[in-house]
Amino acid sequence: MASPKTVPKDAQVMMQILKDMGITEYDPRVINQMLEFTYRYVTTIIEDAKIYSTHAKKSNVDADDIRLAIQCRVDQSFTSPPPRDFLLDIARQKNQTPLPLIKPYTGPRLPPDRYCLTAPNYRLKSLQKKVSSSAGRITVPRLSVGAVSSRPSTPTLGTPSVQTVGTKVGTPVSLTGQRFTVQIPSSQAASVKSATPTTPTVQNVLINPSLIGSKNILITTNMVSQNSSSDSTSLKRKHEDEDEYDAL
Amino acid sequence: MAAVQDGPMELDAEKETKPEILSDGTSNLSGNTASGTLSSSPLTAAPAGGAPKMEDQQTLIAVLQFLKRNKLSESVEILRREAGLGEHQEDSQATDGSGGGKGDGDGGDANSLLSRVFITSAAAPQSMLVKKDQPDVSVVLSAYSQQGDPPLYQVYYSGLKNFIESVLDCHRAELSQLFYPLFVHMYLELVYNNHETKAKAFFDKFSGDQECYYQDDLRILCGLTKKEHLKGNEVLLDFRTSRFVLRISRDSYQLLKRHLQERHNNQIWNIIQEHLYIDIFDGMPRSKSQIDSMSGSLAGEARREVNKAKVFYGLLKEPEIEVPLDDEDDEAENEEGKPKKKKTKKDSLGSKSKKQDPNAPQQNRIPLPELKDSDKLDKIMYMKESTKRIRLGPENLPSICFYTFLNAFQGLTAVDFTDDSSLLAGGFADSTVRVWSVTPKKLRKVKSTAELNVIDKESDDVLERIMDEKTASESKILHGHSGPVYGVSFSPDRNYLLSSSEDGTVRLWSLQTFTCLVGYKGHNYPVWDTQFSPFGYYFVSGGHDRVARLWATDHYQPLRIFAGHLADVTCTQFHPNSNYVATGSTDRTVRLWDVLNGNCVRILTGHKGPIHSLAFSPNGKFLASGSTDGRVLLWDIGHGLMIGELKGHTDTIYALKFSRDGEILASGSMDNTVRLWDSMKAFDEVETDDFTATTGHIHLPDNSQELLLGMYHSKSTPVTHLHFTRRNLLLAAGAYNSQ
Repeated sequence: MASPKTVPKDAQVMMQILKDMGITEYDPRVINQMLEFTYRYVTTIIEDAKIYSTHAKKSNVDADDIRLAIQCRVDQSFTSPPPRDFLLDIARQKNQTPLPLIKPYTGPRLPPDRYCLTAPNYRLKSLQKKVSSSAGRITVPRLSVGAVSSRPSTPTLGTPSVQTVGTKVGTPVSLTGQRFTVQIPSSQAASVKSATPTTPTVQNVLINPSLIGSKNILITTNMVSQNSSSDSTSLKRKHEDEDEYDAL
Repeated sequence: MAAVQDGPMELDAEKETKPEILSDGTSNLSGNTASGTLSSSPLTAAPAGGAPKMEDQQTLIAVLQFLKRNKLSESVEILRREAGLGEHQEDSQATDGSGGGKGDGDGGDANSLLSRVFITSAAAPQSMLVKKDQPDVSVVLSAYSQQGDPPLYQVYYSGLKNFIESVLDCHRAELSQLFYPLFVHMYLELVYNNHETKAKAFFDKFSGDQECYYQDDLRILCGLTKKEHLKGNEVLLDFRTSRFVLRISRDSYQLLKRHLQERHNNQIWNIIQEHLYIDIFDGMPRSKSQIDSMSGSLAGEARREVNKAKVFYGLLKEPEIEVPLDDEDDEAENEEGKPKKKKTKKDSLGSKSKKQDPNAPQQNRIPLPELKDSDKLDKIMYMKESTKRIRLGPENLPSICFYTFLNAFQGLTAVDFTDDSSLLAGGFADSTVRVWSVTPKKLRKVKSTAELNVIDKESDDVLERIMDEKTASESKILHGHSGPVYGVSFSPDRNYLLSSSEDGTVRLWSLQTFTCLVGYKGHNYPVWDTQFSPFGYYFVSGGHDRVARLWATDHYQPLRIFAGHLADVTCTQFHPNSNYVATGSTDRTVRLWDVLNGNCVRILTGHKGPIHSLAFSPNGKFLASGSTDGRVLLWDIGHGLMIGELKGHTDTIYALKFSRDGEILASGSMDNTVRLWDSMKAFDEVETDDFTATTGHIHLPDNSQELLLGMYHSKSTPVTHLHFTRRNLLLAAGAYNSQ
């Protein structure tokens, strides 16, 4: 602790207060914290008192204003627990009702859902607009690819289920469509990238190759459930993804 | 007290028709006024200020109350009809005046009743009916409007001091109990009546004489110099409204009374009648050591009749469970022998429980959750483990395994172990709760719903499959509280964890998803401790608002409120039969509450500091409590008596635990030690004869040294929690303190 000579007067006063209250051991930073609190509290009170005194059209702030300011602040910040007779009263009321019987075998015994914290605290934005916009994008490549238009209509993917991933829901459809066309000439290409140069339309795919992987996984989840035997010409990647999925 | 005389005289003037009844009242009252002090009438000053009509009203109501008390119902009716008073006015006065009776006779009651009534009229003539917070406080505070002459307070006090010092030795110890409450009340009166300098002088002169264990209170008093300070301090307000209880033998009391009544202008007699309850017993006066061991609490000692209610401290019957045959793999006995052995084991449990233990509560006294299959499996595990339990004793001390929390930066505020010692939870000052797995098995949470959809629900190990192996870890952190977590408690079925915090809420966490399920709001002030019932479903929490609450997990509001403590409830503990809750508080008392109706059935005084740990013995008969004064006190719950005192620790005791069969009591404290005590011996030496049972005065042998079986130091780690595993290995937990 700094020697009393070099410590400012306020801090000396605070050290004396702590000593009077019987506190002998404390971190040196406690004094700074206490002084900060004191400064903030006193400033708040005096400011409030100034407001009250101007409201009462007095020229100076006097003791009554201060007293009023303290009283108003006390109710806000330094509340104290209710008095004993009040507690005894409500205890008496509460204790009169008999203990409720316990219903048997009801699973986890929790209060009604309103009072629990188990509800999701987030809500997903609806994707209607975005689907239509990306669908617009799809049509362009689809037309260029040609015959594959039937396939992509398998977005029995059901866009709602795919929402959790992201916004570009529509593109996977187009990608699968793309892939079929790509597959026919070369087979079992390790990655779409190598196969893509054959078709000009695949440039769309090239733009964001990273998306391909994630979308494939999605597609396969739903495809597996619906038409497992669909893709004899399925990409090796697709297999990989399926394998990966099963291993999870 | 002089006002008492005025009352009946007025009535005599008004009600000549009923002289005989009133003269009864008058004679009683005047009998006591002769003995009471005819002091400078402070009370006449008060009602004189109010309107005379109000005074008459109050007098009438007071007389009505008096007649009701003496069961003179006809006269009550007649008086009421004649005076034209309504029912409600009397009732409010009744509740005001029913501040507890005195052991000394009805006249005293009437006096105190009347004085209270007059005070009420002075303070709040309008608000007779409604009990709001503010009028109550001012009513309480206005109890000090009876002023003696301020400079004379010192004279009175010194006079009393001289008298007590001149008395025989055997009485001196008992009468010295008066000093502290009188001192505090006189000081507060001076402060309330704005005699600040005189109050300070009074304090300086006499505060040094008080007992050492009251020093903390005196320091708080020292800072209270103005009336406004009093208003915010609800602990002291409670101190004023509740009567400080003193136990004095009849002889000593006669001495005191005679002395005080000789002097007519004595304020002290007023104060004694107002604020003190003197519990008189017939017998030998107590010695200083006996008094010292029982005193120390903020409300004096406990009245004898408070501790007389019957407490069902026995254990509930264990349910009969079929122990499966195919377990013990190390027993190579013949197969025929095995089933027979198992059957006899079941029968032996059954035969014990066929006779109803008279001290045990009924099975259905409080509703308890029935056992699920998983609970039955747990019980079977428990029984298997208990067969492997080590028998402890003075020659066979337990091994201690200490779990030290490193890098906790003094933020560890609460610890709990599950009953089978597989999980450990810590509550921290940064408002997190962390759960660790003590066994090599990692903590797993349930998979997310997307993943759960695709698993095979028919497979045998579906319960394993639903757990997510990817995020398995040794510890999990639970976020949610917004203040330091002061209490944690596991549920007996290891599905839930409770945590209580400074933000005023108690949170229920699921240990299967490691998320928060419910936040129970009720205390609006820090909640210092929480604990699950031994059967699950119920839990209790205690906090700064001076009450403990009983909750059930499926009710968002508490089921019971245990109000009565004068200061914060710092420690809560269920009895093994789940019918009683023990609470320890900063007012230095331990109270035992009945879950069924919320009544306080025991008040145990004797600690000299706030109580921070409680432990019930496994047989339910005894309770151990530890506090900041470093002593562990042992209590017999059935009789409500202190039966042992274990001295030795030098700092606050935060952890107390009995071994699984109750032979050893382990205590851990801030002085970095764990001490083991021989509880068997301590309980055996209890002799309760009739005298001790009725008066509660036991002379405690100072045998702490003999009972101490072992003391183990840790390397600068205070002990926060203790736990005996099912096989009687002692686990301890604490945060390493590098200073």
